[in-house]
Amino acid sequence: MRITHQPPFLSRGPKGWLPAILLIGGVLAASLGFSEDRVASRIDALIEDHWAGNQASPPAGDAEFFRRIHLDLSGIIPTVEETRAFLGDSSSDKRDRVVSQLLDGPRYPQRMAEWFHVHFMERLGDDAAWEGWLRESFAQNKPWDRMAREILRADLRDEANHGAAYFYAKRLENYGQNAIDYSGLTRDVGRLFLGMDLQCAECHNHKLIDDYLQADFQGLMAAFQNLVPVKDKGYPAVEERLMTTKMRYASVFTQKEKFTGPRLPGLEEIEVPELPKDQQYLVAPDKKTKTPGVPRFSPLQEFAARIPEAPGFDANLVNRVWFWLMGRGLVEPLDQFHSGNPPSHPELLNLLATEFAAHGRDFRWLVGELTRTRTYQRSSRLPEGAREQDCPPELYLTALERRLSAEQLLWSTLRATGHQEGDVAVENQKAPPAEVGAKELPGLRERFRKALANDPRQPELEFAPSLKGALFMMNDPELLKLLDTGDGAVVTRLAALPDDVRVAEELCLSFWSRLPEKAELENLTACLRASSGAGERQRMVRDLAWGMMTSPEFVANH
Amino acid sequence: MKAASSPLCNPQDHQWSRRKMLGSLAAGAGGLAGLLHPAVAETLAKREKQVLFIWLDGGISQFESWDPKPGTRFGGPFRSIPTSVPGTHFCELMPRTARLAHLLSVVRNITTKDNAHSSGVPRILRGDPANRGVKYPYFGSAVAKLMGAGVSGLPPYVWIKPGNGGFLSENAGFLGAKYGAIAFGDGRPPENFTLPEGLATAEDEARQLLRERFTKSYAAGRRAGATEAQTTVYDMARQLMKRQELFDTSRVSERDLDRYGRSEIGQHMLVGRNMLEAGVRFVQVTSYGWDTHGDHFNGSASLIPKFDAAFASIVEDLRDRGLLDNVLVVSMSEFGRTPRINGHIGRDHYPEAWSLAMAGAGIARGRIIGGTDAEGVFVDAPQAYDIGSLFHTWYAALGIDSEKVEFMNGDQPLPIAHQEMAPIKEALA
Repeated sequence: MRITHQPPFLSRGPKGWLPAILLIGGVLAASLGFSEDRVASRIDALIEDHWAGNQASPPAGDAEFFRRIHLDLSGIIPTVEETRAFLGDSSSDKRDRVVSQLLDGPRYPQRMAEWFHVHFMERLGDDAAWEGWLRESFAQNKPWDRMAREILRADLRDEANHGAAYFYAKRLENYGQNAIDYSGLTRDVGRLFLGMDLQCAECHNHKLIDDYLQADFQGLMAAFQNLVPVKDKGYPAVEERLMTTKMRYASVFTQKEKFTGPRLPGLEEIEVPELPKDQQYLVAPDKKTKTPGVPRFSPLQEFAARIPEAPGFDANLVNRVWFWLMGRGLVEPLDQFHSGNPPSHPELLNLLATEFAAHGRDFRWLVGELTRTRTYQRSSRLPEGAREQDCPPELYLTALERRLSAEQLLWSTLRATGHQEGDVAVENQKAPPAEVGAKELPGLRERFRKALANDPRQPELEFAPSLKGALFMMNDPELLKLLDTGDGAVVTRLAALPDDVRVAEELCLSFWSRLPEKAELENLTACLRASSGAGERQRMVRDLAWGMMTSPEFVANH
Repeated sequence: MKAASSPLCNPQDHQWSRRKMLGSLAAGAGGLAGLLHPAVAETLAKREKQVLFIWLDGGISQFESWDPKPGTRFGGPFRSIPTSVPGTHFCELMPRTARLAHLLSVVRNITTKDNAHSSGVPRILRGDPANRGVKYPYFGSAVAKLMGAGVSGLPPYVWIKPGNGGFLSENAGFLGAKYGAIAFGDGRPPENFTLPEGLATAEDEARQLLRERFTKSYAAGRRAGATEAQTTVYDMARQLMKRQELFDTSRVSERDLDRYGRSEIGQHMLVGRNMLEAGVRFVQVTSYGWDTHGDHFNGSASLIPKFDAAFASIVEDLRDRGLLDNVLVVSMSEFGRTPRINGHIGRDHYPEAWSLAMAGAGIARGRIIGGTDAEGVFVDAPQAYDIGSLFHTWYAALGIDSEKVEFMNGDQPLPIAHQEMAPIKEALA
């Protein structure tokens, strides 16, 4: 809406006040870098519709926003210089510009790969080919349906996408005398691609959720139960065995025998063709050379072709991205899409799913819209005078604090403590940062993961500090060494500065990506003044840095 | 640290924050013990029920322990000896435990389903409930969830085991990682358990004070959750670090070392005793190497006396310290061993008919429950008990009504023990 439209619009309107209010809103929105037709504005309208007089938090300050957007889109806190420059920039569209810059920035593919990996592999394991495939996919901004197809197809012959098979291959590993967990794989595909946790519908229709049928679980499993992992390829690989008949199953309650071909929930069952023996394979398996066969009828291929049409495919993805950026799903839990568990904002979920599909399932577009909303850019401090219970999380009145992954904490810790090795690697786009840079980096990444990541299959959804994480932050010698050892280490560098105010500001900017408030500055400089002698000053700066690094202001995304 | 002039770094302020913490903790649970005189804390802890769970991984043979069949086809070379319960015999390899039989309940009619280790161990430790497609918690995680950490300020579920330690969240199943075990590998503390070299305790106090102040200033005007969670784990970590002596068996008297045995299980049981005395809710002590498919009898002659010394000593000590009324003691494996002696002079896995022992809180004393036929092949009793019945029994012993109390997995209520089973009434005091 443009200001030049103002006089005719106002004079024409029969109820003059209403368009006027809309207009003022529009002008405000425009000044914040929104235009009326942006999906971002429609998102905010749908969120704010539910407020009904509840007080909302003010917009996040520049520093709060800047740190948040860097952690989300680049996976790392901003540098001191970047923060200073942003705080000093007085142009009105600077937030909009920073979103664009980071979406196109060198760290975006790595960050998205890390997010996707944690979210879709749930710490089951790590694999260089998979991580490379993810980075490349996000660098190309592959549409979501294409990524999903490549994962679900897991085609051995598709060399460019070998890494994608890790989603299956890792889940098909078995341990000791345990059988391959086909049920677990089936469950994960339902949860992660369609938002349906069908696990309680494996042996009978779900007892509590009317929508979840045993036929849904078994239809999915029909495609997966004849997969086997292919070892020794040097990259993740699975082989699809021949499927010549429907799969048999029975409810534990009725014991009645049933049959199903592969079927995605909500779609038609896929016919299992009866092929003459000599036509079953495109490539026959060869036991001598251990070459896996390629069946003519491939349930995976059928699934890959149909997955975008499956109900919930788009809604699941937008809900997961919404959860990531806003701290709470429109559908919660994320894998409980069903009619008995409606979204908190049905129209909004529908808008996001529809527009996502209409925009070619473009991740950059989706992330760009969500991060340009007022909803995303709200402060995480409660509104003045409000109590916690006045701001139920599902109303998004206040930004929710979110967990930082072990990777976000590793990169941010390196940057805050003055170690830039990771940056060089990412910006050269040559290899994942763990493989180059400081010799210690791979080991350090392992230490961070071991201490701060969840165990396998424990989704990392909430800010949940652990005892081992606390012991790590308190006592790990390699971590603590970062503070004051090596070129540019923050403590050594700052302890040598004579100006207490400068030291206090640099500490705050390094760890919290903001300038100290007045009272803070007084406290910090008082501490520094009280420490006399080089050794004592160094210790004081170290203790201040450690205290900042272990406060929630550093370890949470707020 | 000389910082008296700073409002942020004032040692007075530290005092104040300690007092404040004491006040706030008195209202809630956890963390109290470290702020009280140790003796007071221990008195408080003693009122609470605790569990000592002894796990003999691989499968102790019932023939060479609780249910000997000397002189029969499958009985093996060892004799049996009378126990302090008239008419009841144990294997001769357990002389000290035999003298304590009047404190125990021994169940000789256990029948379970799984004869493989990798699936059987978790199956037993999770109580093998009806399959609802969810992963049930291990008994330790279940107790941590249902009874909490208590007042010790220490983690609720501690596992002392040979090999690696760590944080075992898998054990917690659907209850979620925080109910997992903290495992002390080889009885040693977890990684990063001591202050880094060169950092004195006073220096640690100084930096912790700063952390607390920064945390507090972050918390102002925000939701409480993140700050509380962060504060809790740091408090627990510091509490645990103050108790380094829990892992220090060098301070144990020579006499106790001899009594418990200078074996792995003996040393680990001593660490377990420390943990129980410090008020840890659930202590699991694991011993490996019981899977004697070959040379079983020489193996038993080595393993079982080590178990006998450790087990008898802990039961004696709990009795002598008045803790036996509060601590539920269970000693078991994932299954028993076959009557048939194989070609390698070994016994194989046998879930059909095996035994276990219990003592302490809520458990009847001097009770021998069920039995097997003359050759120890099948249960010879009106009833055989599966692991589900034992879970019911243990919950009952701890004062938890397993008929009424349920877990919540999201919106899904789940029974805490197998719905179609019931406690072993004879085993309850």
